[in-house]
Amino acid sequence: MFPAHIEEYVRPATVAEALAANARYEAGEAMFIAGGQSLMQAIKSRMARPRCLIDLQAIPTLKGIAFDDGLRIGAMTRYVEIAGDERLDGAFAALRDAAGHVGDRQVRNRGTIGGSCCWNYVASCTPAVVLGLGGVMELTDASGARRAVPAGEFLIGPLETARRDDEMLEAVRFDRPAARTGSAYRKWGLVKDALPVVGICVKVELDAGGTCTAASIALSGLSAGAQLADAGAAQLVGSRGEPDALARAFGAIAESVDVQSDKWATDEYRKQLIRTLGAEVASTAFARAAS
Amino acid sequence: MDIRIQDSKRWMGARLERKEDLRLVTGQGKYLADIVLPGMLHAVFVRSEYAHARITGIDTSAARELPGVVDVITGEEMKAKVKSLRQSVLLPNLPAKYPEYWALAVDKVKYHGDPVAVVIARDKYVAEDAAELVVVDYEELPVVVDAEQALAPGAVKVHDDEADNEMFAMTFTGGATPEEQQRNDEEVERIFQGADVVVSNRFRVHRTGITPMEPRGVLCDWSLADGLTAYITTQRPHIDRLALIDILDIPGEKVRVIAPRDQGGGFGVKAPFFRENVVISYAARKLNKPVRWIESRYESLMSVGQERDQINDLEVAATKDGKLLAMRNRGIANNGTGQTGVYWGFVMPFLGQVEMPNVYTWEKGDIKLRVATTNKACLTPSRAFGHFPTRFAIERSVDMVARRCGLEPSEVRRRNMVPKLPYTTITGEYLDSGDFLKVWDNLMAHVDLAAFRKEQEAARAHGRYLGIGFACGAELSGVASELLVPMENQPGYGAATVRIDPRGKVLIFGGDAPGGQGHETTVAQVVAATFGIDPSDSLVTTGDTGSTPFGAGTIGARAGSYFVSAVHKACKELKEKITYVLAHDLGVRATAEEFAFTNGDVIYLRDPSRKKTFREIVERIIMFPINLPEGEVGGLEATAFFEAAKPMICFNADCCIVEVNPVNGEFKIKRWVTAEDVGNVINQNIVDGQMHGAIVQGLSNVIFEEFIYTDEGQQLTADFENYKLATAADVPDIELTYASTPCPHTPLGTRGIGEGRPSSIPGALCNAVCDALSPFGIEITELPLRPGTLWAKIRDAQQLRN
Amino acid sequence: MQTVRITVNGELFEETIPERMLLVDFLRDRLALTGTHVGCTHEGVCGACTIHLDGEAVKSCMMLAVQADGHAVTTVEGLSSNGDLSVLQRSFREHHGLQCGFCTPGILMNMTDFLQRNPEPTDEQIREGLIGNLCRCTGYVHIVKAVREAARTLASGNG
Repeated sequence: MFPAHIEEYVRPATVAEALAANARYEAGEAMFIAGGQSLMQAIKSRMARPRCLIDLQAIPTLKGIAFDDGLRIGAMTRYVEIAGDERLDGAFAALRDAAGHVGDRQVRNRGTIGGSCCWNYVASCTPAVVLGLGGVMELTDASGARRAVPAGEFLIGPLETARRDDEMLEAVRFDRPAARTGSAYRKWGLVKDALPVVGICVKVELDAGGTCTAASIALSGLSAGAQLADAGAAQLVGSRGEPDALARAFGAIAESVDVQSDKWATDEYRKQLIRTLGAEVASTAFARAAS
Repeated sequence: MDIRIQDSKRWMGARLERKEDLRLVTGQGKYLADIVLPGMLHAVFVRSEYAHARITGIDTSAARELPGVVDVITGEEMKAKVKSLRQSVLLPNLPAKYPEYWALAVDKVKYHGDPVAVVIARDKYVAEDAAELVVVDYEELPVVVDAEQALAPGAVKVHDDEADNEMFAMTFTGGATPEEQQRNDEEVERIFQGADVVVSNRFRVHRTGITPMEPRGVLCDWSLADGLTAYITTQRPHIDRLALIDILDIPGEKVRVIAPRDQGGGFGVKAPFFRENVVISYAARKLNKPVRWIESRYESLMSVGQERDQINDLEVAATKDGKLLAMRNRGIANNGTGQTGVYWGFVMPFLGQVEMPNVYTWEKGDIKLRVATTNKACLTPSRAFGHFPTRFAIERSVDMVARRCGLEPSEVRRRNMVPKLPYTTITGEYLDSGDFLKVWDNLMAHVDLAAFRKEQEAARAHGRYLGIGFACGAELSGVASELLVPMENQPGYGAATVRIDPRGKVLIFGGDAPGGQGHETTVAQVVAATFGIDPSDSLVTTGDTGSTPFGAGTIGARAGSYFVSAVHKACKELKEKITYVLAHDLGVRATAEEFAFTNGDVIYLRDPSRKKTFREIVERIIMFPINLPEGEVGGLEATAFFEAAKPMICFNADCCIVEVNPVNGEFKIKRWVTAEDVGNVINQNIVDGQMHGAIVQGLSNVIFEEFIYTDEGQQLTADFENYKLATAADVPDIELTYASTPCPHTPLGTRGIGEGRPSSIPGALCNAVCDALSPFGIEITELPLRPGTLWAKIRDAQQLRN
Repeated sequence: MQTVRITVNGELFEETIPERMLLVDFLRDRLALTGTHVGCTHEGVCGACTIHLDGEAVKSCMMLAVQADGHAVTTVEGLSSNGDLSVLQRSFREHHGLQCGFCTPGILMNMTDFLQRNPEPTDEQIREGLIGNLCRCTGYVHIVKAVREAARTLASGNG
């Protein structure tokens, strides 16, 4: 219910300050806090017992959605900001789809894209969408050295990422998309906007004739965490998003992916959701790519 | 209009804004967690992480050494210093096993969450730190969580001092003696043998219940001179007080229990007498300091609000014309440990079987119940007390009979509904008043069934599955002593003290303890209607044993039935005295009926110019009691008790229209419409709100909520991520209609409403879904109802066909 | 321990508090503003603790008070000014949008923010906006009505 003792709380003004504070502690004893919507659950249940909390709210370089050569979203950008940015359409619409339905509106006023990706909770939507859209994680360490890690390498498994203890995520970057690229994301949960039992992100690139030239599918809600479904994505290529093409693609995913049974759904039902929800999401992605 | 009734017309049935709301919308409510006493200490419980284990040692030393920790109390200390909770005031008058237990676990723990020790500290965060440092050594024991397994010979025993896990068993039909019952059962069998139609199913309802938004809490203050003042989130302050007197051996004049004026919902969950009451009271006395415990949601979801969890093997025999003949039921209830005060868990399934025949006429029935103890939390009362599972079973069975006979389920219901009241059912339940057929016809008038069937057929042609489902039933309207004494060893009467003050204000005191039902407003409306004053001129006080008349508590829809009736009775007594004195003062011979209390005046009807304001006359009687009629004395205060001669009910019917998507099993409620008999209404908004809330609670129970235990008794649903409650986005709008008959047994014709209301929800919803999916031949006999399970049934049915 | 300066309902408070103190406990226990309620443990699902942080609805049980240092907090006690209830508060009274009242402050805070950003909501949007607030008593019907009617009142300028 109540957090364990916390020795220190700091609120640095720069990334360097934040990493310096972190460096004063042993690995894992200091934790960065972003929106805190996941981390506070862990702190209050005492699953996490940081000696020091480093609050990132006052670092301006971590915020903001910028379109330059591609898209760059600062790690501290909140769901409400992502969901409300109408420029995130077409290729990036899946980001809005996901951000607009995380938890509830109170959560969306606090939770961040960076916090979600670094926490990488097993069922979370945002890591799956970042993965499905080919995001690249921009990390910085205490010496100022930077590296860019593709989401697929960054998201190792539930609650596990490639971020080293002495690193911070500064932003998530996406390459400039090809023309006629569309994406979509939807999830299924027992109650509205619940953590997904299954969530599906689809991105498609079409040629001038409306035929898919590239596709990416990512799943959330499975026990292995956010993951790509390459076999299914390959089946979308060459199609025009026709119902039987979608059925084939998601049928292939349903048959090949590892699904679990838990209190929310049997493995069989998850597979059915992959088929039905997947087709709906892909259909939307195709439509967005075409328009 | 007769001016004697114009105030009644003005206030009865009005949609008056509630008096409670000003403080509640401004955050000025005072709930238990808002009460602070100087020097108050904070308690945190250490609870078992095992479902069944022997406690081989408790080491509290590290906890005690933490700065800020004042004490750590264990079960051994509670057992040595304080009596057990098996006291007669807390025992039903029903033959059952009542295994001994103390305020904290002694010797072994029996469910995941069983309280083992309590830490008292100066700061609540520190108390939690210390609770983590308490080291309990457990020797794990085998666990039994399944009721049937618990009842099987050789099962793991939950209670060492009992012979087996069958806590309670009863036959509800056939008579008092085994011989009569046997003859009855044989006749039932003969009816079954000769019946055209027999439907036979095992109905399973999962473990779920009602979770008030405010968890429990106890704040105890102790002084040598004044004894114990215990603030408790309770629906039953007077009963709790008796229990504390008996268990802690404190003389009654030194025990006061106060249910805070504002409580965040009860729904039955705050009606038992809980062990924490004893622990905190003891701690306050021992430490001579106020001690407060606020339950965390985690504790709450593990310990209370768990109900339903029944199997009913129900068989129904009928004619081919849909006439119900006989039923045979074998109920099995999973009671968990069975150890909470007042109910011991089994009283709920007991009532469930009593109500199994529902509102239909039957020739005969053979109804039996067995209640098993298991290593789960004890059942706590939850709105639709005991009969949520039995109503589901019977309402589903009625639909199955209808389908077998090729008749509309609504028509089968109508044919079998008790046509004229009063009526005593085959289990002896007394249905006192109302016109079921009128209510039913009112519902059907709002549902164009013929049009729906056409729409359904057209939709099916396009591969869309619409369905319509019905359910109905009667709920207790208050609980009469003749039922409450056997069931809960308590009286059922309502009690109210009405005190008029010299400024013309009316103070009402009731021994109950509401948690959101708006009693301050409904009572004020009744008083306004009776005395011809404004509702703002009265003040209702409940919950404090130090100042209110004795009452069993806010349970079983007592307010609209018993409490307001007692208020009215006391007011009537005072009106007699007021008019008697006024007549004397006016020099006229007149009875009370010859005066009207209206618009702030008391008027002599034969000569309306002769009147006094209410305030004038009451001030005269209270403050200036001279020149009174012979033998009369001043003062205006009356206490009245009300009990209807027989138990009372209210009746309601639900209709649900649903669309099911067979591709993924999702079902969407397109329409939910009801018809209610609530008797005479005091506040229409409040009645509407009660219905909405109950129906949505029912939907949430059926679809989203489930308390899950592993085979080792580990609870997996101790937070709201895992125990999912319906949000506003998950439930539909609700249409309410009313076709009420005033209750002939209450002075205002009012009925207590809302308690049992959730129980028709599973039947109506599942009947609609089965109706939608009738081409697939699917019958739902198990809850929860979820898209995943429905999809699997559809898929299996499709595979069977291919 | 840290000293924080937090403006609450327009008043600046300077308090020395443990780093681990939850914002909701700061408000309830340190400032005696008990209108904000606690209804769940660590999961932050029930929404009874909802307040405004710099005018936006957030759950105060999911924040530490130190995170609010330098910020402005509004609680339900700050919704009415000079004894006048807000349009939404009045609408809840008029339309019976509450019963036990435990979830109500959180809903008022959430919906106040919601209506500022969604001045003409559909019922469906209101219901989705309420996902972060659990209520057991009302079944949500009158809550939705109260919010809908408040929106109408505000839109007509009769606030």
